[in-house]
Amino acid sequence: MNDDIILKTDHLSKSFFKYQVLTDVNYQLKRGEIAAIIGPNGAGKSTFFNLVTGYHTVSGGHVFFRGQEITNWARHKIARIGLTRAFQVSNIYPKLTTYENVRQSILAQLKKTLNFFTPASKFARNETLELLKITGISGFRNTEAGILSQGDKKKLELALALASKPDLLLLDEPTAGMSSEETHETMQLVKQLNKDIGLTILFTEHDISVIFGYAQKLSVLHQGVLVAEGTPEEVRQNKEAQACYLGEEI
Amino acid sequence: MDKKNSFLKRFWLPALLFFIALILPLVVAEFWVHVFNEILILGLFAAAFNLIFGYMGQLSFGQAAYYGIGAYTTGLLMVKLQWPLFACLPVSMITAGIGALILGYFCVKLRGIYFAILTMAFGQLVFFILFQWYSFTGGDNGLQGINPPVWLFKANAYYYFSLAVVTIGMIALYFITESPFGYTLRAIRDNTERTEFIGINVQRYMLINFVISGMFCGLAGALWGPFNRSVAPDLSSWQNSGHPVFMAVMGGPHHFLGPMIGSVIFTFLNAFVTGFTEYWPLVSGVVMIIVVLLMPGGLFGIIKSKGYFSSRDVGDVKNE
Repeated sequence: MNDDIILKTDHLSKSFFKYQVLTDVNYQLKRGEIAAIIGPNGAGKSTFFNLVTGYHTVSGGHVFFRGQEITNWARHKIARIGLTRAFQVSNIYPKLTTYENVRQSILAQLKKTLNFFTPASKFARNETLELLKITGISGFRNTEAGILSQGDKKKLELALALASKPDLLLLDEPTAGMSSEETHETMQLVKQLNKDIGLTILFTEHDISVIFGYAQKLSVLHQGVLVAEGTPEEVRQNKEAQACYLGEEI
Repeated sequence: MDKKNSFLKRFWLPALLFFIALILPLVVAEFWVHVFNEILILGLFAAAFNLIFGYMGQLSFGQAAYYGIGAYTTGLLMVKLQWPLFACLPVSMITAGIGALILGYFCVKLRGIYFAILTMAFGQLVFFILFQWYSFTGGDNGLQGINPPVWLFKANAYYYFSLAVVTIGMIALYFITESPFGYTLRAIRDNTERTEFIGINVQRYMLINFVISGMFCGLAGALWGPFNRSVAPDLSSWQNSGHPVFMAVMGGPHHFLGPMIGSVIFTFLNAFVTGFTEYWPLVSGVVMIIVVLLMPGGLFGIIKSKGYFSSRDVGDVKNE
């Protein structure tokens, strides 16, 4: 496999009982890209993420990460090799503080979670504060995460994912529930991370301005089938993509 | 200075409790020394149980199995092999830990009510083995003559011995709960899914915690045999598995000392009420209903809602 390809799916399919939700998806993502998968609700975007990250078991086909087959691997194993994700509905530790949330993810990344006798507070202080600062939530570091606003929960989830130091980050609707200002800040951060550390990012999104403003590559899913792929401009011109998602006027 | 203040703020309550525990036998009658000894042993049992309940978010209805294994290990070693008590304590922790490893392997595959039911089923399995294996465990007669060394024969002496062992056990449990492992347990309780996606093998950590909890339950059981001079299969029964649940809920499962405080309430109630009526379970049931309805976070929960102990909880908000 080409070394440039960080993620590849080969005839990836998923069915729930008799319902086929993803059919023969052949997808490739290059290292260092910011790419988006778009499509109407129910197109299979989240299912694609769920299959790649081991959240659901694959019904057919294969998933490769950096050339290594990871089809149906356990979630924690996939996360450990550098493929992590943020969820559509924020998925955090509501009873821990924002600081403790991020520190927990860093502790896992540092493989310190089997330490039994040193207080957790002795670990990763600077790294945690740095990540809170980068994601713009350091003002809430002592706040119980469950009472953060939806936008801040999303930022916290991004921080949790980044703390794992991934090579590939999957973001499922990263700006859902955010104000336009927060959306801009978050996507700027994603772009900056991509530029500074070469983090590969694959996201799903409904906000057209975010999709066309930040993605270098677009893939269109419709009823579980990959119908179009290319640069934003190519997809914009693609008749099939227009018909199933974007609308004639775009 | 700040560091000193923070230390005092954090540890004044356990220090006060320890001081009270230290002077109690000097000012109360022997009967009450026995009651306080029971409080200590059951408090350790409940705190060990709370590693699974309060910290990991799963309800085990079978921790009495490991309490019983610990008690029987010490009993058998002391009665049949005349081992010294000091040597029996760590061995009891190990046997209880091995039991927890074997049975916990299956339990941690499940969550919620299924976890609770399976732990209870395995607890009953251990109970019936102890109950039926006459040639080894003495069956329903149990084991008698588990006498501590002569210098621990008096109530006060054994009380101070229990206090020392329980204090060491509680300090070890405290360190575990404050460690990265302890925070991983909180993470599993709060959001198992997210914990997997940060690269943690949740099932493995649950099993390790199950074994640690089983070991400390075993240590509490090991203290019980010489205290009571005998052990019986009832120690492993499902009713006995309910006691730490009672204690943790009464004291507050979301505070480290909650189960110990629950043990004080539970054992005192038991000691008082049995003096007036044989219907002790009826009274404890009523108390439980009141606690669940009016104090959902237990005693510590209600104190916390008044603004005290706002930090250092199990699901705590801690300033950084």
